[in-house]
Amino acid sequence: MRVGVDSGGTFTDFVAWDGSAVQSLKVRSTPAAPATAILQGLNRFSPREVVHGSTVATNALHEASGARTAFVGTRGFEDLLELARQNRAELYAWRPAPRKALVRPEDRHGLRERTLHDGSVLECLDEREVAALTAGLGDVESVAVCLLHSYANPAHERRLGRALRAAGYSVSLSCEILPEHREYERAATTVVNAYVSPVMRRYLRSLSESLPATRLRIFQSNGGSISASEASRQAVRTVLSGPAGGLVGATAIARRLGIKRFISFDMGGTSTDVSLYNGGPSITTERDAAGLPVRIPMLDIESVGAGGGSVAYYDEGAALRVGPRSAGADPGPVCYGVGEELTVTDANLLLDRIEAGSFTGSAIRLQAARTRDYAARAARVAGTGVEEFARAVVRAANSRMERAIRAVSVQRGHDPRDYALICFGGAGALHACELAESLQIRQVVVPAHAGVLSALGMLLADCVRDYSASVLGANVDDALHRLTVTAANDMRRQGFDEPDLIRTVDMRYGGQSYEISVPAERRDAFGEIHQRRYGYRHPGRDAEAVTARVRAVGRIPEKDRPELDSVAGASRFASVYVPNGWRCREAPGSHLILESAC
Amino acid sequence: MNLELEVFRNLFVSIAEEMGIVLRRTAFSPNIKERRDYSCAVYDAQGRTVAMGDHMPAHLGAMPASVKAVTDEFRPGPGEIYFLNDPFRGGTHLPDITTVSAVFQAGGSEPAFYLATRAHHADVGGMAPGSMPLASEIYQEGLRIPPVALVKEGEFDAALLSIILANVRTPDERLGDLGAQVAAHRVGERRLCEAVARHGQDRVAEQMAALQDYAERLMSARLAAVPDCEHTFSDWLDDDGFGSGPIEIRCRLSVRGCGATVDFRESAPQVRGGVNANRAVTTAAVMYCFRCLLGAEAPYNAGTLRPIRILTRPGSICDALLPASTAAGNVETSQRIVDAVLGALRGALPGQLPASSSGTMNNVSFGGSLPEQGRPFSYYETIAGGMGAWPGADGLSAVHTHMTNSLNTPTEALERGYPVRIRRYAVRRGSGGKGRHRGGDGVIREYEFLADATLSILSERRKSQPSGAEGGGSGARGRNLLNGEEIPAKGNFQIRRGDRLRIETPGGGGCFPEPGPGQSTRAGVTEDATSPDFEEMRAVD
Repeated sequence: MRVGVDSGGTFTDFVAWDGSAVQSLKVRSTPAAPATAILQGLNRFSPREVVHGSTVATNALHEASGARTAFVGTRGFEDLLELARQNRAELYAWRPAPRKALVRPEDRHGLRERTLHDGSVLECLDEREVAALTAGLGDVESVAVCLLHSYANPAHERRLGRALRAAGYSVSLSCEILPEHREYERAATTVVNAYVSPVMRRYLRSLSESLPATRLRIFQSNGGSISASEASRQAVRTVLSGPAGGLVGATAIARRLGIKRFISFDMGGTSTDVSLYNGGPSITTERDAAGLPVRIPMLDIESVGAGGGSVAYYDEGAALRVGPRSAGADPGPVCYGVGEELTVTDANLLLDRIEAGSFTGSAIRLQAARTRDYAARAARVAGTGVEEFARAVVRAANSRMERAIRAVSVQRGHDPRDYALICFGGAGALHACELAESLQIRQVVVPAHAGVLSALGMLLADCVRDYSASVLGANVDDALHRLTVTAANDMRRQGFDEPDLIRTVDMRYGGQSYEISVPAERRDAFGEIHQRRYGYRHPGRDAEAVTARVRAVGRIPEKDRPELDSVAGASRFASVYVPNGWRCREAPGSHLILESAC
Repeated sequence: MNLELEVFRNLFVSIAEEMGIVLRRTAFSPNIKERRDYSCAVYDAQGRTVAMGDHMPAHLGAMPASVKAVTDEFRPGPGEIYFLNDPFRGGTHLPDITTVSAVFQAGGSEPAFYLATRAHHADVGGMAPGSMPLASEIYQEGLRIPPVALVKEGEFDAALLSIILANVRTPDERLGDLGAQVAAHRVGERRLCEAVARHGQDRVAEQMAALQDYAERLMSARLAAVPDCEHTFSDWLDDDGFGSGPIEIRCRLSVRGCGATVDFRESAPQVRGGVNANRAVTTAAVMYCFRCLLGAEAPYNAGTLRPIRILTRPGSICDALLPASTAAGNVETSQRIVDAVLGALRGALPGQLPASSSGTMNNVSFGGSLPEQGRPFSYYETIAGGMGAWPGADGLSAVHTHMTNSLNTPTEALERGYPVRIRRYAVRRGSGGKGRHRGGDGVIREYEFLADATLSILSERRKSQPSGAEGGGSGARGRNLLNGEEIPAKGNFQIRRGDRLRIETPGGGGCFPEPGPGQSTRAGVTEDATSPDFEEMRAVD
């Protein structure tokens, strides 16, 4: 038996597969000690393998509860993390938004050494300085090392790594975590890893001890899983993994239904996550976590602060606004009976898009009359009726979500009309068709497993590892070859003898600073891809390769893959709104397919 | 109540942002691609701002003047893109090249909308690489481009382009950057046409106007909450680089009901060195200050400025005329105008405004020929400083404030592209002003040059210090050192291979006196202050 476990803030979801049937389960989460709810649920299954999506690393980062971490850099660059990119987060605010400091000022160290951009060494590491450093780090648990130009020559970092590991520290080297140029982003990603890995290690060790007969795998933000021991060393790969599970689940359902291109639309109570799938998932290396750049490859998921709980209000300029503030679960929308502020959920109730009796599978009985009273007052202020007001609230929320979908599609050179919209999350199916109309999308899918799609995705996740190397001024094919060999060896150790090895190269015109990821064998098509993405190309300019990447995918055996059509107890937990002009049909496996008639 | 504004606001802002993404990702100047020194905006049929991306404050408030300069002289047609950089005909300083185009709806003969982008190019010719020299008239600063059609019938005007490219040090880069700006127009035009197809021209135009009215209402409501008052505050630029001595920027602010007047007419006359600001720069600085009085979510467009009247005197430091040199007006004087406006606002809103920030962008540009290939190079960057403390929080260290928000160029990218090695890049500890809330610290940046080069520096707050607020201490003044010797704040310098340049940027002012016994704080520049005593300040530093 294999089980996928998604440990969320409110519920911990389980999807289990025993080779013949799928079962699902929801258990109330225990946020103070997430393992409690997990063990409680797993007791029902006694699985051989568990794929676990954990928020431990993300939470440690957001709550600033990670390990005490030292930063070691090139002398003169000790303040790299504090200097960041020297810009501010908010343009028009005089009140300073505090910056996250994962490393205390006294825990920053600089060593006399210098490697140059071509990999040559200008100044060698001084062994006495290395010894003094390892002896003088004080009361830190974890050390992040990021030296200038280490992507071009990691020798100094590796030397430091050996000394620090020998001294018993948990060590993260930038040449191992992210061997790519741009020192601040590389350092920040490395420090995040150093900061969260010890917390992750303790958590996984304790969980493993409670599950002696179970193989534990951890879900990553790239949509694949890694072993628990790797996750303990490279916990940064689990940061922001939360919304990735749903996307993997949606991918499996799309495949089952023969859909090759889709946009996933996961609308929850406070936020909405969207992502684009074009024969393969969109990958980005440009996401931030807790205000810090985390440049490892992740599924490209755009989040926006609009959900069912988003509050509608008039601002001081007399405009109707929706969100990003959410009424949350407490006090919740007006229709829950306590809240005083109208929300998107209230608007949906007013428009009869959700039934008062059946909401999110919970016991809450929605109070329609109370909601109507509140809405009537708000509508009067605008000189309109309740329905028109409610529709305006939905439109305003939709406009924010539409902007997010445009960000992952149009702004990346994809036409949403070529895509289906797969919606899940508590409120997704209420908004999907109207959003689809705005984007001229003609097909909407509401999966049968919308309520546990994320846990299902974890159960379906392949073993995925990403490798990269900076190739500025170096031979691309050599780098790809080296990465391929390393990847194949690693995967073999994980039990995958024939992994898929997907080779890409990040390219740009010489002189640009942003790259486009191009399949390794299609490097000569760069101009064409630039044209598609940005609307033009430079026929006379040479393209250059910046980063070589290999993604190794170990497919889980067919017998371990649940049969999607046999998911029992997978209630949809969601109301569906089908506007005029849309047809609804049920596809095999109880998925709903909605199609625009026009 | 307007139930639709949010929908259209999201639409227009996302168009400006998407233009910015295309520009940044396909540009060639480190300035644009790494440091994000660019802006994009959408205008209505009358050329009034509808939406801007969250780009550079110094650009955004000044760009309507570019649109106006183009439409005053021309009737832009379909397939045309105009460009300009002339500070006296719609620009601000020469490196900022602005492009303007009209968007037509199908079958329409009158422009339905306008689009504009502005990007700081790394070189536009002139006496020094980087086109940010210390100069005494604009003709030395670089190539002046009045409004003229760069793109006709969808293609670059080859003759015009050849003149431009013949006058700049890095023509290949210029061509790439202009291509990126043109691509941004294309995407903006496409999106606007899609919006019209979906909502109809009338509804789009109507909602553009509604958004401007909305911004006006927000600003009026905010000003109505400020008690009627009149406050005058002066701040000074150190010097024009040619020995002018302190240059006064005098701001007389009066708030009446839901409107305000900001009067700079008593400011100093324009000067010989390049700290002259034109009226567009002054407008941008004032708009920035008032925009900050609104919440983070407020829209920012032509309506924002309607309740505010700005008065300047032609021929003054805030409204310079030809042939004034202007390289630093946009980057240095704009910061001092903000300091002056903030000073006056502090009188109107005591205890609510921050202390002065570093007050300079520390402009460093250099160029020459690459040692081996002989290929010319030209590079420009700005260095952050300390943010002024806010009543309730310490200022941030090492951050760009007010009129700029450009990023740094990564050391690893800089060293790969240019014959320079960064030796030190650190927070300048202890440079923030003392106080219950401390000012942020400045930055230390040390360059080692690996080739002979021409260096230009335009920096400020090298004599005066960023003042504290509510009795907080001043931030430390900045310093520029070449091979250990202090050099002038503004100037052009010949660099030999192996020379080391060290820039120490100013800290921000503190807020409220430092608590505890033996407290010693310096008052900030007050309403009645006369010209500050720089010698005394230096002694304190």
